[in-house]
Amino acid sequence: MRHGIVLSSRVRLARNYEDIPFDAAQRPEYAAMCVNRTTTALKSAKLGEGFDLLRLREMSEVSRTAMAESRLISRDLLRTPDTAAVLIRVDDALTIMMNEDDHLRIQAIRPELDLTGAAQACFQVDDALSRQAVFAFDEQLGYLTACPTNTGTGMRASLLMHLPMLTRGKQMGDVGQLVAKVGLNIRGVYGEGSEALGNIYQISNQVTLGRTEQELISAVTAVGVQLCDMETALRDKAMKDGRVALEDVVFRAWGTLLHARLMPLNEFYQHWSNIRLGAALGLLKLPLTLADALLDQVQDAHLRVYADEPLEGVQLDECRATRIRELIRLGGE
Amino acid sequence: MAENENSFMLCEECQVNEACYTISVMMGGQVTQRHLCADCMAKMNMSIATGNVKHLLSAILTAITGAEAPAADEPREDVICERCQTTLSQFTKSGRLGCPACYKAFQEQLTPMLQQIHGRVQHAGRKPLNTEAAQRQRFRHEELMRQMEQAVAVEDFETAAMLRDQLRALAEKEGED
Repeated sequence: MRHGIVLSSRVRLARNYEDIPFDAAQRPEYAAMCVNRTTTALKSAKLGEGFDLLRLREMSEVSRTAMAESRLISRDLLRTPDTAAVLIRVDDALTIMMNEDDHLRIQAIRPELDLTGAAQACFQVDDALSRQAVFAFDEQLGYLTACPTNTGTGMRASLLMHLPMLTRGKQMGDVGQLVAKVGLNIRGVYGEGSEALGNIYQISNQVTLGRTEQELISAVTAVGVQLCDMETALRDKAMKDGRVALEDVVFRAWGTLLHARLMPLNEFYQHWSNIRLGAALGLLKLPLTLADALLDQVQDAHLRVYADEPLEGVQLDECRATRIRELIRLGGE
Repeated sequence: MAENENSFMLCEECQVNEACYTISVMMGGQVTQRHLCADCMAKMNMSIATGNVKHLLSAILTAITGAEAPAADEPREDVICERCQTTLSQFTKSGRLGCPACYKAFQEQLTPMLQQIHGRVQHAGRKPLNTEAAQRQRFRHEELMRQMEQAVAVEDFETAAMLRDQLRALAEKEGED
């Protein structure tokens, strides 16, 4: 059941080279040093195979934004396109972002609930690089980062979770308190401010210093599992006590997505949440992987790349509606 | 952060609402307090939540440095990181440190801040796997730096310039690799 709730697990490590100022992203000579050093170290460690080096300045704005929409790179990396670069292994969504807030952000994403797997992928890169280069590290404070909120392990472990029933049951306030109590943080992934469009939330560790990576991963995983149990209990209850009402919501959303000709993004999230719930409960024959892929594929930059045109406003909504039908058709029923 | 027991106090951030939270910052054995209303406290929590910590750090640092701010006519000496020339006030404003050496330079201000953010100030967890090769390179860099500083100290600028060029070449070689 958990796979119906946790979309993906992500771990990222912040690392800096000892002898380069933190703001390398603003200084081309240092930025180039970071990129060259990392690329060379990765090659020397015989880990370079399968990685592609992409410099953001050599990519179109729309294709680098699409990478951020897929979470392969951070939105923050887009702020310094002249100096930022990324080493990426597409097969397993492993990326090394260079010249972001820190010199390096090593990031791995795994489907479903697998923070340990994501962390191991990051550690492999971390070890390979730290054999070749010297990272800023202090015995007392751990890894030294540009911002004191990342000092220590430099690690952020996060889960992307779909929590429609907890949201509908107005329990997210309680969830927020529970999460904060154990030093974690929860926020909506899409939308402004406190919105959580699509009922998609990210939970992650807040503190990075004084706990081991394993402790942090266990804490995030434990809370993730607890939220899964709470969400599952509500889903089971709805299936038992109000199945028709639940089916009605799911199939209305399904019908809209299959037949609408204009689909604004904000409206899409609402229907998406309902069809993903339906897919997770077995009400719809829609693979969860396809539901999750939809989420990336209908974002603005993805649509612009797909259409190869600078779509705006209603053109985006039209293209989104078409793309949704097409992807659903391609993915079977 | 405890509920404020004072009868009524204005929020120091917005100066509008009643302050009902107190943030205490321990520094050098002295406690500095900041009083905030629920809205500003929420904003601060939101700053942490969204990763936008600049606001939070500024607020905490203002509390620390503000408490010891001298009279306006008395010029106040800023703490500076000798390696990257970042000043404490720059850090206070941006929330970002300049280089790894800033952690030592601003230790007095940073330790209570790290304690506030993380609750602990002793690292537990992974360590880098420095190889001998990496260490040798670092020692070489440090040795050149040391020699250059010595040369400058005795006003032997010719030697200093030569060492500076060597350091540059070392950095460039790395850049080309």
